[in-house]
Amino acid sequence: MSDPVSEKPERSRAAKWTRRGFIGAGAIAGGALVVGVAVRSGNPVGKLKGIVAQGEGEALVNAWVKIGSDNLVTAIVPHCEMGQGANSTIAQMLADEMDVNWENVRVMDAPADGNYVSQHAVRTFVGPGTLPDRPNQVSFMEPTYDGLFTQIGKLAGAYITGGSSSVRSTGQNGMRIAGAAAREMLVASAAKEWGVPAAEITTQNATVIHAASGRSEPYSAFAAAAAEQDLPRAPRIKTVDEYKLMGTPAPRKDIPSKVDGTAIFGVDAGPEGENLRYAAVKASPVVGGAIASMDASAAKEMRGVLQILNMGDFVAVVADSYWQAQRALNTIKITYTESENDSADTATMFAGFTKALDEAGDSGGNSKADYGDAVGALADAVTKVEAEYKVPFLAHATMEPMNCTAWVRDGKCDIWTGTQVPLMARDGAAEGAGVSADDVTMHSVLLGGGFGRRLTPEYTNQAARLAKATGYPIKMIWSREEDTAQDFYRPADISRFTGGLDENGKVICWNNVHCTEDEPPEAPLVEFYDIANVSVRNAEVEWPVRLGAWRSVAHSQHGFFVESFVDELAAAAGKDPVEFRRELLKNSPRHLAVLNGAAEMAGWGSPLPEGHGRGIALARSFNSIVAEVAEVDMTGETPKVTKVYCCVDAGFAMNPDGLKAQMESGIIYGLTAAMYDEITIKDGAVEQSNFHDYKMMRMDDAPDIAVQIINGAPDNLGGAGEPGLPPAAPAVTNAIFAATGQRIRELPISKHFA
Amino acid sequence: MNAIKLTLFAMTATVSLSACGSESPEPTEQIVIREPGEAATPVEGAAADADGADAADLVAAGKSAFAACVACHSVTPDGASSIGPNLYGVVGRAAGSLAGFDYSDAMAGSGLTWNSGELDEFLTNPSAKVPGTRMVAGAVNDADDRAAIIAYLATLSE
Repeated sequence: MSDPVSEKPERSRAAKWTRRGFIGAGAIAGGALVVGVAVRSGNPVGKLKGIVAQGEGEALVNAWVKIGSDNLVTAIVPHCEMGQGANSTIAQMLADEMDVNWENVRVMDAPADGNYVSQHAVRTFVGPGTLPDRPNQVSFMEPTYDGLFTQIGKLAGAYITGGSSSVRSTGQNGMRIAGAAAREMLVASAAKEWGVPAAEITTQNATVIHAASGRSEPYSAFAAAAAEQDLPRAPRIKTVDEYKLMGTPAPRKDIPSKVDGTAIFGVDAGPEGENLRYAAVKASPVVGGAIASMDASAAKEMRGVLQILNMGDFVAVVADSYWQAQRALNTIKITYTESENDSADTATMFAGFTKALDEAGDSGGNSKADYGDAVGALADAVTKVEAEYKVPFLAHATMEPMNCTAWVRDGKCDIWTGTQVPLMARDGAAEGAGVSADDVTMHSVLLGGGFGRRLTPEYTNQAARLAKATGYPIKMIWSREEDTAQDFYRPADISRFTGGLDENGKVICWNNVHCTEDEPPEAPLVEFYDIANVSVRNAEVEWPVRLGAWRSVAHSQHGFFVESFVDELAAAAGKDPVEFRRELLKNSPRHLAVLNGAAEMAGWGSPLPEGHGRGIALARSFNSIVAEVAEVDMTGETPKVTKVYCCVDAGFAMNPDGLKAQMESGIIYGLTAAMYDEITIKDGAVEQSNFHDYKMMRMDDAPDIAVQIINGAPDNLGGAGEPGLPPAAPAVTNAIFAATGQRIRELPISKHFA
Repeated sequence: MNAIKLTLFAMTATVSLSACGSESPEPTEQIVIREPGEAATPVEGAAADADGADAADLVAAGKSAFAACVACHSVTPDGASSIGPNLYGVVGRAAGSLAGFDYSDAMAGSGLTWNSGELDEFLTNPSAKVPGTRMVAGAVNDADDRAAIIAYLATLSE
């Protein structure tokens, strides 16, 4: 992009327009100028136009919408598709505001160019909203808003898919306004051309209509002229009763390509017409270790091998095929430098957690929430309840392991990869190739699973270094073993609770201390429960492994901790778990409606066969509220989850089918971890390696899932990708308690039934 | 131990720093065995083996690699052509000359005679060697595999 500073007149004129929303030009996000408005000659969006509008007769109305001469409307979406379907849904939002029928809509991923940085993703992740007229601005991040966070957010390049933010943030604040603005600009063009007042013009099915004179034209007829129109200052957004596409299960645009096999994932992608060479890699299994030596004498003589490289921090074999590279790599004897983590193991780490929690006691550590007097109130309690819970490290285990194709030549670098953070992935490749970020062309393709794993750039960096060293295009693919050993793990944690009940069984105090940093910060909080005296704290501990964001982030631990302890309090009070929660939710009507919804779906209270049990759990995450009832069959050797009833209030389901699918997916991902999995460390290295010791939930173990949606706050959207997960584990452990009286306080559940 | 703070962005920043743990992203050791496309040089010491044994191994390897081709090509004498022409006797034959097979115009008019070199180029990238060929699948990326397949085909004649 050209120097943004020299375009000042454009910027300042357009900047006024940001008052109403997202397409504001001139906003700085991720360290780049976000333009995203009208294309006209001399406008800095020229480069974008070159990238995304290459067809004859195409014009960019603004950076998020493209209208072709065939009257097809392409939504250019700044998020990555990793199975969640959000790109289709936010295109649906744009199309509705624009009055385009769904058949005429196409979806295109935004190129990894700073101009497409989602400034609303920045706001969601990095700081408080600056649009007071938009109540769905996410405020939960505000406590974390500090200089460091902002700075890193800028460095990272905030074109990001995570935080369940696509629909509620980019869709709600970006796509809808873009669609409405585009429509108004098309109407204005038609009014001018026809010499009629804009107010007399209506739109439907991508057509502008002037009923009085009987004239109508497809949008494409005015696409070029619309690009010359002034930007509407405040495009009118539809009210809920005007929605046509929003709230409907419009078929996802990405389904056909996934059914017919034409969908291109990272592992499929690469330069056309080039014979790729393949790289297999292995890094030190211990954090902080590097390569001390390698003995490649056997690998040198193996078929297909082209090069063997000691890259300092990892070893690579380049060969004609992936399998040749991997087999040769497996024969290389590698020694590693010493690391301060060489003796790390999970048991020692947990002992450190226990010590830190002991030291924090009932009032030490970092305060996360503190109201009333949790310590003082305990003295008045008739019943005191204490419990300690423990969860392990977890790997992401994406179906498609980490991979990246890179080609470095003539001072330029091309990469093909699936990533949740294209700009950061691009920068990782630039560093590896020794070129500037501007000289990297990022070909962003579908992700075979993300879940937070693809938020890091180390694999694009590796691939670019290999491509630079060899001089030809390299497809680097991690083995499943490498993927399992080199993950950024969901943090393990121990969480301690002390609670007090009065003579009526009402909770009067809640005191919690745990070890992980809380991301997002509200994860351990229980302000929606009516408890007068609350203290929530964390104790700082040290970690011998890389930590990462794992689907629902800290909610994945705290959902289990909090809802297990609420269940224990209910049992101590001698009350039914649903009735007990109803009393706690008396000031939280949306939470209560969701709880009641799930209980009703499950027929809570109705008889179950001998050895079966029901458990309920409720969690609020990413601005959505989800309650789940699990049914378990405990008559076999191991617990079997037979049913999960899920009730969700995500504000408004823009695509109910997509929301249901995300709930189902979150439940399965959550149950997989809860039932089977843990990552353990011994001698500094991860002990698990593949699906035999890090199991996935299969069809025969998967429960029947029913999902019910409540549209409880149409102007206050919540996320979908993550919120289905947090209640899954505690719903099951609470059901096991109901069936057998056995309280599971440590995950995975399989540990207790070996 | 490393104290790694868990913050979404802080975490990723840690990564970008640690991804290049070495001073320079350049390799500290780079063993180049051959360039892409170059045939593998015989492994030292293996030359002591009898040539005949090597050749037999190559043909066996070629027969095995040819498994990917049999869906379209038969190789028995007088075997019927299916999607692709029967390849019995293909080495030494003029391209596009098997009677009764419906070749593309491109192949029929290519003027090629199939020797090892032409076959190697064709199998590397059929559409590049004979633009317009109907053999749209079947490129053999591995130079060793190509050599083996060609050696195997050469044995299929009277």
